[in-house]
Amino acid sequence: MELKPILSALLRNKTGAILIAAQIALTMTIIVNSVFMIMERRGDMDRPSGTDEANIFVLSYTGFASDFNEQTQIVEDLDYIRSLPGVIDAIQSNSAPLIGGGWSMSLATEEGPDKNGTGTAIYFADDHAVNTFGLNLIQGRDFNPEDITWRNRTDTNWPGQAILTKALAENLFKEDWRNAVGKTVYISETQPINIIGIIETMQAPWNGWNGLERSMLVPQQTLFGGGRIIIRAEPGERDRLMTDIENGLMQNYKGRLVRNVRSMEEIREISYQSHKGTNTILLVLITALTIVTALGIVGLASFSVNRRKKQIGTRRALGATKFDILRYFLVENFLISSVGVVFGALFTVGLNMLLVSTLDLPSISWYYVPSGMILLWCIGLAAVYGPAKKACQISPATATRSV
Amino acid sequence: MLVMNNIQKVFRTEQVETHALRDFSLKVEEGDFVAVTGPSGSGKTTFLNIAGLLETFSDGQYHLDGIDVRSLNDNQRSRVRNEKIGFIFQSFNLIPDLNLFDNVDVPLRYRKMSSSDRKQRIEQALETVGLASRMKHLPAQLSGGQQQRVAIARALAGSPRFLLADEPTGNLDSSMAESVMQLLEDINANGTTIIMVTHDPKLAARTPRNIFVKDGVVTEKKRSSMDGTDSLIMQPAIA
Amino acid sequence: MLTYYFRLAILSIKRNPVLSSLMIAAIGLGIGASMTTITVNYAMSGNPIPHKSEQLFAVQVDSWDPNNPFREPNIAPDQLTYLDAMALMRNAPAKRQAAMTKVFAVVEPKGDEALPFDATGRATFTDFFAMFETPFLYGNSWGKDADNNNEMVTVLSKQTNERLFGGENSVGQTITIGGKVYNIVGVLDGYRPTPKYYDVTNGAFNDPEDYYIPFNLVAALQLNRAGNTNCWKPTAEDGFQGFLNSECVWIQFWAELPDKETQDNYLAFLNNYAEQQKQLGRFPRPLNNHIQNVMQWLELQEVVSDNARVIMWLSIMFLLVCLLNTIGLLLTKFSTKSAEIGLRRAVGASKKTLFAQHLLESTLIGIAGGLLGLLLAYGGLHGVKALYGSSVEHLAKLDTNMFFVALGLAISSALLAAIYPTWRACNIQPALQLKTQ
Repeated sequence: MELKPILSALLRNKTGAILIAAQIALTMTIIVNSVFMIMERRGDMDRPSGTDEANIFVLSYTGFASDFNEQTQIVEDLDYIRSLPGVIDAIQSNSAPLIGGGWSMSLATEEGPDKNGTGTAIYFADDHAVNTFGLNLIQGRDFNPEDITWRNRTDTNWPGQAILTKALAENLFKEDWRNAVGKTVYISETQPINIIGIIETMQAPWNGWNGLERSMLVPQQTLFGGGRIIIRAEPGERDRLMTDIENGLMQNYKGRLVRNVRSMEEIREISYQSHKGTNTILLVLITALTIVTALGIVGLASFSVNRRKKQIGTRRALGATKFDILRYFLVENFLISSVGVVFGALFTVGLNMLLVSTLDLPSISWYYVPSGMILLWCIGLAAVYGPAKKACQISPATATRSV
Repeated sequence: MLVMNNIQKVFRTEQVETHALRDFSLKVEEGDFVAVTGPSGSGKTTFLNIAGLLETFSDGQYHLDGIDVRSLNDNQRSRVRNEKIGFIFQSFNLIPDLNLFDNVDVPLRYRKMSSSDRKQRIEQALETVGLASRMKHLPAQLSGGQQQRVAIARALAGSPRFLLADEPTGNLDSSMAESVMQLLEDINANGTTIIMVTHDPKLAARTPRNIFVKDGVVTEKKRSSMDGTDSLIMQPAIA
Repeated sequence: MLTYYFRLAILSIKRNPVLSSLMIAAIGLGIGASMTTITVNYAMSGNPIPHKSEQLFAVQVDSWDPNNPFREPNIAPDQLTYLDAMALMRNAPAKRQAAMTKVFAVVEPKGDEALPFDATGRATFTDFFAMFETPFLYGNSWGKDADNNNEMVTVLSKQTNERLFGGENSVGQTITIGGKVYNIVGVLDGYRPTPKYYDVTNGAFNDPEDYYIPFNLVAALQLNRAGNTNCWKPTAEDGFQGFLNSECVWIQFWAELPDKETQDNYLAFLNNYAEQQKQLGRFPRPLNNHIQNVMQWLELQEVVSDNARVIMWLSIMFLLVCLLNTIGLLLTKFSTKSAEIGLRRAVGASKKTLFAQHLLESTLIGIAGGLLGLLLAYGGLHGVKALYGSSVEHLAKLDTNMFFVALGLAISSALLAAIYPTWRACNIQPALQLKTQ
């Protein structure tokens, strides 16, 4: 290979080369860190909620009329909904995964104040919860109808039993989580709760919470003046039922407001809207960046070809084949890019370290760096290919032409 | 041996058709030193470009060392240029970013050759033109005459059978021109065939054979070696 | 002379249309991307009440868990307990002060046609309006008597008034909120601070509330609260009273303290109050009470999202790449002009005039790039709105300030990028250029 002469020619025209290398280094830094952040966010968005998202929808109700009796209304509404054809099951609850608002409490394995607790999301629900959400009960048992009690807004007592997610059990009991069923945990410092079952996955309502997988089903139905009804439809029936049930409920009783009738898919969409927005912005940014950098390389390479027309003609006259000329420019670009990507690798890791220390971003996985280097090498070569191809077409007779 | 028969070269633009060469025939023997003269625009450079395989021609026959040039593709032509032909240009065409060593190295790079072999040839070629001591200099640090000698070294390094020179002294003053001409004569004396395009009658007078190109047609100037006077005979160059 | 340069510059830009448009595109893209993100950050970190932000203070008293701070590193809670808020309202020495919390209820319009709808409200004290200088369209705030006597009065937002009364003056009429009838005493005129500094806990960029009512009604009527509630200790007693007496924090608290003296007094009062409470067995942590003015508060509560900041810095790096790009393209462009520059030098143009001539050319390119960038930023901000929905609607706006910032940024970037290539081009030896041509 003709590395040495290319290198010495490069060193005599440093400015252009440095500009391209700097662009490549910065571009790589931005692209790799952006892609990393995009993938992180995608990973977050891909976490399963543990529910049968495709067939579930949720509505909110708020009672306002003076004759609103929440307890009888809940029973009536659930009876009505569960009796509709196409409905698999339905519950009343305070919240649902990804909804954004909910209730959290602290659980501890020992009784008493000052014990280090584990935060968990609370879902109040009856014995239809596992079936309605489509949860996977992996240990223990589901609630029985006789387990269910009513909870008023200012109640401070907790029922003596609950179903926990596997993640919550793991957090409380570590490797021993498999034996968690039958054990007791404490809520509100002193109130015992007997674990009767473990479900595989059920996300908390807040997607940004670091305890997202920690949830607990509590066998109570809430009388908070308002709440949510969660409905699971048979495949293909959801959209029809969304309108039917909203209208049906309003017809049955007008003293409560029914609103925000949303499918789980919509709820997921809303929940991750800013994730998606940020990803789109980053994607647009790195696309524009790639185009700008590539065009910059095309511009500078075209210029360099134009400037060296005579030289290229001379090389052709002296026996260089078209391929030799093509190779010259590709190798030259590769050398420049190599300097760029080496600095790019350093900057990439540097920026990531900055993001790790200032934000709570995880460290970049090692393979992002070589992938970024290869990508930038390819972008450089692709950008220089056009001008290099043009350089090949320069006639050897250019050598004998006077200026 | 270089043999051209009835070469035609036509440049076409949308409006005009220019015959740069018409029925151009020439035979150059091994070891010849041919000076090509003629007025500006007569077709001298076109002839040299075709002879050096830098350009294709429209019609006719051209055999270089027995090879039918017409049948060669672009890569093969590059190969032939590289191995059989050395070029010397009016404006030297050294690569400004490379030092003398790397400049002479350029044609050798396009051959499969070991680096020690190349090094030896480069040093020898620069030795021949008397610039071995300035190998690490850049072209810009040399005078015009020295630059042209580097270009000659570059042409020689590949040990070509033919040396094509396009106004090699055109950009040089007379004393430099003299030293370059001297060098060419020495090279020719060692057996390399040289074809030199020039407009300088004094230089042309020094070569054993002169041809004159006008309007794309070649005329041979036969010179009586006794009295040194030229006699013009209109005849095809080759019988 | 300037018109002559101007003509030369235009000629030169036209002579290399591809290079010129590449440069304009590069600057435009860089400016467009960075202005979009800078605008959003600027709105997020803007001062919502500039003439008064140094006199308004968020109040923090640390009544939290002895074992863990409310937030690392030892940051006091962002809200107050009911007990503390009431004690401060009674005795703390402020020019004005207000406890406040977010509530929600169903509003039932009059007549059978209109459907009931959900609304959020702010339960607060009368000083809220004077302290934050909320503009009134009709009527006025309620008086101190209303605060003390649990009067059923309300101030509506402009939107609510439009929705219920078609924008007519509704002062003196009544409205049913959460099944209770309130007298309307005032209507605000499009009050919308960005950020919503007085309640960043429940979303610094959320919409303002639909109605305002006296704070004491929360306890009197046991209203439904919509805001964030944090507790470190189980409540000791059942019922609403138990909640009010608990260590749960759920009340934002602001005071207007016009000068150093009142500020010092107020802080001294807080510390004194905390000491008293310690005697009663509350406030188990070391003293950690603060008053934070508006901008300090926004900083402490990290109102500008990390995401927005990261994207802004990335897009500024993008602008940097665009500038490097422009430098390269200008070098290219000017190098094709070395003959012309050599000639001009030879016929007597000074380096300075040549420099000026070429900087003018770069400035024109900068202006063109800046205008393109503004256009892209405008589109970009629309894109941001479409991507993030209503929560950023009031952040993604390009005002005149930002217009001039963008143009200035574009021109200064172009000039910055032009200095080196111009300098290099103008340093050409005149003789050398003429000889080789």
